[in-house]
Amino acid sequence: MEPAKMASPKSAPKDAQVMAQILKDMGITEYEPRVINQMLEFAYRYVTTILEDAKIYSSHAKKPSVDADDVRLAIQCRTDQSFTSPPPRDFLLDIARQKNQAPLPLIKPYAGPRLPPDRYCLTAPNYRLKALQKKVSSTAGRITVPRLSVGAVSSRPSTPTLGTPSAQTVSVSAKVGTPVSLTGQRFTVQIPSSQAAKAATPTTPTVQNVLINPSLIGPKNILITTNMVSSQSAASEPNSLKRKHEDDDDYDNL
Amino acid sequence: DRQTLAAVLQFLRRSNLRESEEILRREARLLGDDLGAAALSPAGAGLQVGAGGDADSAGGDALLGRVTAASASAVGGNVAAVASSSPGLLLYANVFAVGGGVVVEDQPDVSAVLSAYNQQGDPTLYEEYYSGLKHFIECSLDCHRAELSQLFYPLFVHMYLELVYNQHESEAKSFFERFHGDQECYYQDDLRVLSSLTKKEHMKGNETMLDFRTSKFVLRISRDSYQLLKRHLQEKQNNQIWNIVQEHLYIDIFDGMPRSKQQIDAMVGSLAGEAKREANKAKVFFGLLKEPEFDVPLDDEDEEGENEEGKPKKKKPKKDSAGSKSKKQDPNAPPQNRIPLPELKDSDKLDKVMNMKEAARRVRLGPECLPSICFYTFLNAYQGLTAVDITDDSSMIVGGFADSTVRVWSVTPKKLRSVKTAADLSLIDKESDDVLERIMDEKTASELKILYGHSGPVYGTSFSPDRNYLLSCSEDGTVRLWSLQTFTCLVGYKGHNYPVWDTQFSPYGYYFVSGGHDRVARLWATDHYQPLRIFAGHLADVTCTRFHPNSNYIATGSADRTVRLWDVLNGNCVRIFTGHKGPIHSLAFSPNGRFLATGATDGRVLLWDIGHGLMVGELKGHTDTIYALRFSRDGEILASGSMDNTVRLWDAVKAFEDLETDDFTTATGHINLPENSQDLLLGTYMTKSTPVIHLHFTRRNLLLAAGAYSSQ
Repeated sequence: MEPAKMASPKSAPKDAQVMAQILKDMGITEYEPRVINQMLEFAYRYVTTILEDAKIYSSHAKKPSVDADDVRLAIQCRTDQSFTSPPPRDFLLDIARQKNQAPLPLIKPYAGPRLPPDRYCLTAPNYRLKALQKKVSSTAGRITVPRLSVGAVSSRPSTPTLGTPSAQTVSVSAKVGTPVSLTGQRFTVQIPSSQAAKAATPTTPTVQNVLINPSLIGPKNILITTNMVSSQSAASEPNSLKRKHEDDDDYDNL
Repeated sequence: DRQTLAAVLQFLRRSNLRESEEILRREARLLGDDLGAAALSPAGAGLQVGAGGDADSAGGDALLGRVTAASASAVGGNVAAVASSSPGLLLYANVFAVGGGVVVEDQPDVSAVLSAYNQQGDPTLYEEYYSGLKHFIECSLDCHRAELSQLFYPLFVHMYLELVYNQHESEAKSFFERFHGDQECYYQDDLRVLSSLTKKEHMKGNETMLDFRTSKFVLRISRDSYQLLKRHLQEKQNNQIWNIVQEHLYIDIFDGMPRSKQQIDAMVGSLAGEAKREANKAKVFFGLLKEPEFDVPLDDEDEEGENEEGKPKKKKPKKDSAGSKSKKQDPNAPPQNRIPLPELKDSDKLDKVMNMKEAARRVRLGPECLPSICFYTFLNAYQGLTAVDITDDSSMIVGGFADSTVRVWSVTPKKLRSVKTAADLSLIDKESDDVLERIMDEKTASELKILYGHSGPVYGTSFSPDRNYLLSCSEDGTVRLWSLQTFTCLVGYKGHNYPVWDTQFSPYGYYFVSGGHDRVARLWATDHYQPLRIFAGHLADVTCTRFHPNSNYIATGSADRTVRLWDVLNGNCVRIFTGHKGPIHSLAFSPNGRFLATGATDGRVLLWDIGHGLMVGELKGHTDTIYALRFSRDGEILASGSMDNTVRLWDAVKAFEDLETDDFTTATGHINLPENSQDLLLGTYMTKSTPVIHLHFTRRNLLLAAGAYSSQ
């Protein structure tokens, strides 16, 4: 390794010059200067990780010092973890043969957007809206907000945020409290137009604001109010402010 | 060992020894779990395999009816059988060394197992063997020398890998030092990779080299040259190298004149040697599917509105000329229902009408009428532009970036609109005629929409033909489907667990193909979360995937320097094209479906006849990787864009006329390529230090090109 031939500046440390030589040996002639720094950092991190692992193995085996076997074992374990390689060829040929035996499935006509079952799509809302007035709910029984996991709620793919505006009934499942997938249930989120609000509020005062609670609702509508809707009555304004405070507390409880 | 048992069964099957195979199979079922515990000792290192291909049949005869006896028997040619601890099994492990090969299509690949047992000859003498062979070949007749020189590279690599795999490190190093300079220049990249592999552990992670080691390198040699070689190697002192040759090389013999160096150089270069002639013999339906016939209303100045089909007009409506030309089925076209395709929706029919109207106004290109080129330069991309696609009607352009974003721009003055939110949708009048316009949100209309979701650089993008969906594939191993009506992500298809390098929608929509680092290409349908087909066979990453215009075949280009054509119906590989000297980065089918153009890092564009499986042209001119290839709409011009900042136009009509397709050519696959690159080059257009990564001919044959400006 002759420093005079290096492209790097003369004051580069020895490690950097070695790295530059490695790059040259592998045929990489054009590279940004930061690449050497990145490679050195990686080399340092890798070697220290391996040596730390080797120390652990060696002390576990009650050896006086770290030897080559410990290092070899450490490398092996790390390779299986971090640097996985693609599956071997015979395995690929095998699964290819299995997959290719099945005939191509027929295509149903007039099926709308052809997407996989909702469970495998990313079209479900990835948020949930929570109850606000927990104190009032004690009379009506515990409000359990079922946990919605992403992809668990079936909804029309084209409108990921809010459902159809029409009111629909909700089928109740027995297992509300468990955070289990809720496929099969339809949650339609309704923005209260003025008529609907009048109809709903006398019946379910507790669900005036943000609530998803099929056990209580039964055949009734679910109402969800959002900040966006300007038709909200003024009463909801303090509630929505309140919601922001309570959100942090309630999250832990749920 | 289940694997070893499978290897035995495969060998028996291949040697047509039905009885022995049945007996063994029955025994195997009887013994059941015993097999798992059986310790199988590998055949001794010093065993010699019988001369020539006769060892197969000789060993086969001995196997007949001898399954129960736990005895070793010598079979003429010194094949020793090694008995396992459980009685009733005879394993001819060393015989497999001769017969064990990779059959790509249907048989389980047991060579990985077999390779563990192989140890040919004395490692210290490898240099002797190689230099002996080298001497012989250099002293042979000129006409044979070119062909026999093909042996150097695969033998060198295989011998080196065997030394490394069997942990003879110092011998490996000196072997490499001595002979790596003799190899052809186009193998230099491989040799560099090899030089870094000095220990067995190094090989473990390198799947490509492992596959290379277990597969047979295919060489095509004329019968005369082969006889010469065989005679020389079967002499007593050359037995070792004959074993090695037999073990690692597959020699595809053809009858005829030996090939010249030039002919050979055109076809070699891939990691697996050339393609066996039989690999390219399967029938390929390269014709196009019939377009549905329907009336195209004549475009009239005063009547802009589209007419319903079949409505009587004063002027006779022009029929779809492509469909009605021939009533009989094109013999080269696949049957309409060979693979299920989605039905034509009304919007698709309207789109086709528009397409035909545009086609009527299309410019006829040719050597005297070159297309105008409109270049879209991505500024301030900071070398982050990794993928580009343009819709068929050239209305939108998408860029995939290294910062994991996907950005969609509108090329026309019409802005990009997404569907309104549910709140606003409830307010619109659903009965109005322009309801499809009303559902679009004007307030958030913009020229640019950014799609976030990937967690790694986006390496491939593809619009669906109906412009409703966009696909993007990324280094994070997923392919994402985005809706272009809501500009949100709909599905993430997980299957490749490694970077996915390319993806493309089928020309009819619904299906799409993706290829990645795991060396396979996968066929998906938008409504299945798992792939429908897996195309496995490449030795290295699949870098480029394209559908044939009739959607029945998929071409994949790979880093192992081969291009393979796969059948969508059953996943079989129907064509293997070798000849490139570097990883392939661009593929283009001609619009008539008969030809394929491929471009690679070696700067050459190669043209292939799909029906015959032959190379029909070589276009030299580019000096750097070719990332974009596109045929014009009627197939008259081939445009290529490269990292050397140029777009070149080639005369495709001239390149494909006068093809030699006589019997000799089709039988052997040899073609004398004319040196006519200069004649075929119609124009070279330089950009201002902007590599060209995408090309697209509009429906009127205007050429659009895209690339990111790079300041150096």
